[in-house]
Amino acid sequence: MNYPRDTLECGHSLAELSAYLDTGQIADPAHLDSCPECQAGLASLRKLSALGSELLSSDVADAGSGSDDWMQSILDNLRLELRPGRSIPLQSVHPDDTLWETEGSISALIRSVVDAHPGTAAGKCRLHGDVTTPGTLITVEVEIAVVYGHSMEERADQLREELARTLATHTELAIEAINITVTDVLEEQP
Amino acid sequence: MTGSPAAQHQLDLVPDALLAGRAADGDTAAFEALARRHGPLMRATARRLTGSLADADDVVQETLVQAWKQLDSLRDPAAVKGWLLRIVGSRSIDYLRKRRNHADLDDAENHVDQHTRPRPEDPEGNALSSSRVEALKAALAALPEEQRRCWVLKEFNDQSYEEIALTLNISPDSVRGRLARARITLARRMEEWR
Repeated sequence: MNYPRDTLECGHSLAELSAYLDTGQIADPAHLDSCPECQAGLASLRKLSALGSELLSSDVADAGSGSDDWMQSILDNLRLELRPGRSIPLQSVHPDDTLWETEGSISALIRSVVDAHPGTAAGKCRLHGDVTTPGTLITVEVEIAVVYGHSMEERADQLREELARTLATHTELAIEAINITVTDVLEEQP
Repeated sequence: MTGSPAAQHQLDLVPDALLAGRAADGDTAAFEALARRHGPLMRATARRLTGSLADADDVVQETLVQAWKQLDSLRDPAAVKGWLLRIVGSRSIDYLRKRRNHADLDDAENHVDQHTRPRPEDPEGNALSSSRVEALKAALAALPEEQRRCWVLKEFNDQSYEEIALTLNISPDSVRGRLARARITLARRMEEWR
């Protein structure tokens, strides 16, 4: 891959300079500072890269917004399969009935409780313990993001109480603990 | 399982990592928020790589299907954007390979840049800059395909030589070489043009 026109008179090639821009590595970095040819080569490659960023911005602008119809129609076509997770057995009145709910429906329930608080959004949530065996003690882990300015401890306490109440009402899980971790503090959007 | 409009709006404010974590838990609303957030960049990249408006939208759709299936394998949820773009890259290359076998189906109507003209909202001052962008588009279109792919994967998707090598099924050394050829040619064109 040697092209005579790309070798500068100082012996370096434009290909070396191109790799240097990406990796920061070149055989003799000290040479670059003192060599006008390498400086000119680098300047030209950097200009190209800046123009590349302009092209990218212009292409992204041409692509339209993610809230436009094109994206909605792609999303409508997706038909995302649900992720049910584990099956959680429920008691039934008739011994012949087998009733169960899914882990996915419980994490959706947890998210809806967290999201309903202004300035709070749920992240990942996990049910630790064997939910498939009734009566097993379960620990709930929830990650949340809180908008800056809300008291995090207070918010976490409120949520813990509310989640305990909701889970007791809507599920038969034996909740041992609910651990809430604030993973992000969000800036309020102007 | 889709959130209320208010909750959806709230999701637009939260960071990628949180959305990716929720989506991996099965929250379709969080996944859709991610798709809307990164959709334009995914579409722009796919258009530049495939050169076709219709193929680009198919690529975005297939990328999202694959992403939804594989989200729980994503180790660093904060890196979801780069991960989506890598899928867009390899899906686009698949499309190019497929299309080479159906060259007769090539539809000129769908070509990227076919109908581009200066956008009306461009203020006067940007005219020069936007015509340089147009010149770069033309120079890019004239590159050998392999070089153009390397250049787009590097400059648009910000992939490393190793990642590009995996996507294109060539060696990292070939990536370095092709990328350098592409840049040298483009830089010369742009200097001639100036």
